Parts: sequence; C-alpha cells; structure tokens
Amino acid sequence: MTFSRRRGTSPSGNVASRNGTGGYGSPVPFLIPAFLIVFAVLIFPIVFSFVVSLFDWPLSAGGGARRFVGPGNYVELVRDREFWNSLRLQLGFIFIAIPIEIALGLGAALLLNREFRGGRVVRALILLPVFFLPIVSGMTWRFMLQPRYGALNNFLLSLGAPEITWLGHPTFAYTAVIVQDVWRMWPFVFMLLYAGLVGIPADILEAAEIDGATSAKRLTKIILPLLYPTILTAVLLRIIDALRIFSEVYVMTEGGPGMATTLFSLYTHRQAFGYMKVGMSSAMAIFLLVISILFAITLVRKNMSLEKLEEQGENR
Amino acid sequence: MKLKKTVLLGALLAAAAFASAQKVINVLLWDDPYPKALMAMLPEFEKATNIKVNIEMLQPPQVLTKTAVAVTATSTDYDVVGIDEGNVPVFASLLLPFDKWPAGKVYPKTDPKSVTPKMLNIGTWNNVQLGIPINGNLYVWMTRKDLIENPTYRAQFKAKYGYDLGIPKTFKELLEMGTFFHENGIAAGFGPFNGGPAGVLSEAVFMWESHGTKFIDYTGGTFKVVLDEAKAIEGMEFYKKLMAISPKGAETMAHVERQAAFAADPKGVFSMFIWPAQIAAYEDPNKSLVAGKIAYSAPPAGPRGQAAITGAWAICIPKASKNADAAAEFIYWWSSKAVADKLIQANTIPARTESLTNPAYVAAKPWLPALAASMNVAASRPRFKEIGQVQDVVKKYWIMGITGQMPTKDAVQAIVRETNDILKKAGY
Repeated sequence: MTFSRRRGTSPSGNVASRNGTGGYGSPVPFLIPAFLIVFAVLIFPIVFSFVVSLFDWPLSAGGGARRFVGPGNYVELVRDREFWNSLRLQLGFIFIAIPIEIALGLGAALLLNREFRGGRVVRALILLPVFFLPIVSGMTWRFMLQPRYGALNNFLLSLGAPEITWLGHPTFAYTAVIVQDVWRMWPFVFMLLYAGLVGIPADILEAAEIDGATSAKRLTKIILPLLYPTILTAVLLRIIDALRIFSEVYVMTEGGPGMATTLFSLYTHRQAFGYMKVGMSSAMAIFLLVISILFAITLVRKNMSLEKLEEQGENR
Repeated sequence: MKLKKTVLLGALLAAAAFASAQKVINVLLWDDPYPKALMAMLPEFEKATNIKVNIEMLQPPQVLTKTAVAVTATSTDYDVVGIDEGNVPVFASLLLPFDKWPAGKVYPKTDPKSVTPKMLNIGTWNNVQLGIPINGNLYVWMTRKDLIENPTYRAQFKAKYGYDLGIPKTFKELLEMGTFFHENGIAAGFGPFNGGPAGVLSEAVFMWESHGTKFIDYTGGTFKVVLDEAKAIEGMEFYKKLMAISPKGAETMAHVERQAAFAADPKGVFSMFIWPAQIAAYEDPNKSLVAGKIAYSAPPAGPRGQAAITGAWAICIPKASKNADAAAEFIYWWSSKAVADKLIQANTIPARTESLTNPAYVAAKPWLPALAASMNVAASRPRFKEIGQVQDVVKKYWIMGITGQMPTKDAVQAIVRETNDILKKAGY
C-alpha cells in the first residue's frame, strides 16, 4: 500500500477537469455530505479540544467555574516534570517497540514468502495476537508476569532461576509493557510487509537470480528498496497507534510502579479523570496531535519523494 | 364483543396509570459485595413503595468519572450517587444538603445519630451534612488464627522471642511474628497495599499516624502540610521492613493480588489489613482457603499512635435530581435497622451502630467487634479537591522509598515539597 497522487480519469479515458468543465458539473454539492461528516468527527472535536485547552476547566461542575487562561495550561505543562517524564516514556516506547516489530514482521514475511505445506494456516495463525483486545492482552500479561502465580516465573523457577517481580521493578515493568505491545502488534506489521512482498514482480527477482545475484544482494538491492514505501507505511501506522496506547498499559501497571510506566496517554487520562483538569488534559491531547502530525508529515513526505524518484526513473 | 373491548381498554388504562404512578430512580454505586447484597433486597423496597430502582455498579475509579460527567448543577443522570469519602469535597456544591431531603412516606428519615459518630463526618463538607455514610469501611486487621494457634509454631516462636504468638497488638509484635513466619517459609509475614494512588495514600497515612504525625491538616482556615519529617521517615523505614517479609510482587499488590495471596495461596499471609467491605469474599469457603480461619482486630498500634484508616462511601442526592423524594425514600430504607441487620447477615458492613454492636451477631460475624474497636481509632485521609494530585505524589515517592529506589529521607522530602507546590497552586 503506498500513497500516490494520480490524476483521475473518466471511463472514456479523458482526464477529469479541475474546474468542472468537460460535462461533469460542479463537484461541490457532492462533497458537502462528506465534508459535514469530516467536520463533525474530525475538525470540530479538534477545534473544541483546542478551545478547552485554553481554559482552567474542572471536569466536575462541582470543581469550580471554568476560567480562561489562554496559553496558561501549556506553560504549566512545560513546567511539569511528570509531563516530560511521560513524554520521554512514550517516545522511548515508540523508538524501541516499533523497530523490533518491523524487524520481526520483515523477518517473518521474508521467511514465509514461499509456498509450503500448511503455509496459509501458519500465516493465518501468526495474525492471532492482533485480534486480542488491548485490555485482554494487558490482563493476560499481567497474570503471566505475576511473580507468585504467573506462568513466566513458574517456568523460570523450573529452570532454577529466582522469582522476578516483573511489574514491581520500574525497568522490568517498562520492558514488559513494550514486550506486550511487540507480541500483539508485530503480526500486523508482518501482514502489511507480506502483502508488499507478494506485490513485488517475480520476474524481477528471477532476472536478478539469473544474472547471478546472491540472496543477500537480491534482498538489499531489490526487495528492500521496493518494499521501502510499504515499510514506511507500516512505521507510520504503528507510530500513530503507539502514540495512543492506553488500555493495555492501564490494566497491566496502572502507570506504576510509581510513575515508571505512566506513558503520555495515561498521564493525559490522569489529568482528566484523576485530577479533574480537562483543560490540562486537552492541552496534552493537542500536544500529542501536533507530534502525530509531525511524524505523519515527515513520513508521508519521505514516501512522496520516493514516488517522485520512481516517476522520474520511469520517464527517462 | 363490545364488553371485551371495554374490559381490554380499561385494563390498558389501568396499566398505564400504574406505570405512570410508579417512579423510577437511577442509582450509581461502586461494585463490591455490599451493593450486590443490597440489590438482592430491592424487590422488598419496590413492593412497599412502588419505586423502581435501577442500580448501576462500577469500579470505584469509574464511579468517580461517571459522577463527574453525569452530575451537574442543572441536570443529573442519577438520583442517588455513592461518593467515596475523599471525593465528597469535589461534588459538595452539587449535592442536596441532608436537612433539605424530603421526609419519607414509607420509611422514616435517617437519624444521623444512628450512624457511628466517627463515620458521620465522612458525609459532611464545610460543616454541612451532604450524605449518609452507608458502610462502616475502615481498616480492620486480619490474622491467621490457624497459624497463631498451631502448637509447634507457638513453641518455636516463644523459644525465640520470649512471648506468645497471638494477634499482633503493636507494630513490634507484627514485625517479629511476621518475620518468624516468613523466615521459616510458613507464610508471608505481611500483605501490603500498593495498588492505586488512594490505596498507597491510605498505607502512608496509616504509618504516619501510627508514628505520631499527621500528613495534611486544616489549620488557620487553610490546608497545610504538617508532616514531621523524622517521624514520617521512621514510618516509611518500618514499612520497608514489612515489605521485606511480604510476598513477591508486593510493590504492586492491589486488591486482587492481596486476596489471592491471603485467601487463595496455600501458604498465605500471616497478617494484614482488610477493608471490611471485602470480608465476604475472604469468608466464602467457595473462594477462600482461609474461610473461618481469620481472627479480626483493630490495627496494631505504632510507637506513638493507633490508626484505622477510613474508606467509607456516602450516599447522596444530587441537587438536580427530579426524584428527590423517591431517592430519599430509597436511602431511608437502605439505612434502616431492618436492612442493616440483613446486610450484616450477608457478611457486609453497614454504618449503623446498633447493628454493628448487636451481641446476637458477634458469634457468627467475628469481625464486628473488631470493626467497633477500629472505629474508636478511626483516622481519615486528607480531603480537598486537589487530593488526586497529592495521591499521585505520595504514591510515586512512597513506592520509591519503601522499595529502596530512593533514600527514605529524600522520598519524604519530595512528598512534602511537591505537596506544598500543589497546595500553593490551588490557593491554600
């Protein structure tokens, strides 16, 4: 799957005109319903969130009256140590978990990109973790990592290793949250990359093989470059999802021990429903939106520049 | 044919009249055995009053969230809400004062004096009674009877420590007895409560009050941190020792883990506190390996004090409710002696003094005298609107201090410093 901009063509083969000439009339009336839906589910909530972020806004009406503070919430966030801690944890989560998921997904896609007996069943079974609800996944891992009754410690004990308090130690708990996410989401990456691999024309690889290219050369000079846009797409989708991670971490650790796994999303939730500060929580949400847009722009631009190179190559 | 039509029409009209005469109230409560036991008794109330009661039960954090979004000054989705004592200040301005509650038509208005005095304060804010404390929920201590009565353990313990095994009355006894069972691999010595900010604050206040210092007090018309650093460090250091004799994973033990450790683990835990609201699960032979093997008492005394931390719920009526009379009727029924007695039979703990101290129940409900003893030393956590932030600060540094990630002195100083920041920003 790649992003592309191709000019639309009519069934007769004529290129559709932007100013509505050529017999098709103005497209505006046909766009209004879609625009209304986009406005209602996307633009309005964002604008409303931004407006709320400019107020000291108690969640409960009993918490006091709303008060306009302008950028006050953003200033307070910048001064809040826990805000930076949660951002650090969230970005760390992204930059550790996603590369691992990409590596595992790519490795599995390359390995399973061949016909073998039971191949379809294997490829289907690999996808199972993706279908776990995040909250179920979080609870399952929480029980598995329970030091006294958990499956993992029982296994380690049988090997003579000591019991480890996985979720009681800040570093282990953070690692556990990352491992949980890798376990659940690497099959999603596998699915995307496998689809991309299957889309690579077989004749190119055959030609390379005939010309004497080794497996490693075919991988690095043909497969990976052709798969690059798909990898970028997978990275973008995973980043957007990882920036919103909440349920599984909440049930696994509730942000603990202490604040060791209070990721950005959990701290946002805590501002709203723990501290009853909807204004602060909205400011954090806007901040997260800006980060997401920056990631998206960076990756989409990269993807589009690749397409330009491809088009230039084709036009020579 | 005409007669049939007339009869049918008459029946339909009567049903409609009945339905319109029947009031319906929506009630938001927390999810534990207590409201569940109450739900089983609802048909009695509905029959007597023709008031239909829809009870929605959620986990405590979700009750707070739901109340915050569903109850405003002008509208409410619920006619009765259960509010955790720590959150009463947050919603105080939205609640109907008790003295304005309508008189009951079927059940008499609750006499505030029927509620155990130490618990009555839970439903008040700024000297206004806003709700009725409905459960006598405060720290009660559990000790494994079968362990302290075991002749072998008694002999071994006496040989080492020079006094008899029993229900620990002091922190020193708790630590020594707990260490004995832990070191000999018999049971974990103690079961801490480190799940959730409110729970951690409870444990911290328990330790500090027992070591002779309060955390936050309302003095001079404002809230101030009054924590004595030396005593607070002493309390935290003692808790560290208790953590060393606790089960693995004690750093994150919440209700589920505590119940599993005490009631489902064959080794179990020697001694720890319980919220009485959960006793039903521990005394259920279908769920607990220690049903019938638990001795109950007030919490052991620290070097400078004895404290049983309260964690009760108040039942309140939002000002915006359009069914205040039906809501009040429901609450009067719930807090009546007859219902309180039945709730005690179901192993739950109403806040009604005469039910809790009725000698007829003591034999079958051994936790009741312990509850009464705990109420004599009841201590509440600080209450004000910004308590959520303070809880997080305490949780963060308390856990770091008791697990050795941070020196206890630094942890206590961080708690004081950051709590002062929060109070200052809030204008106290």
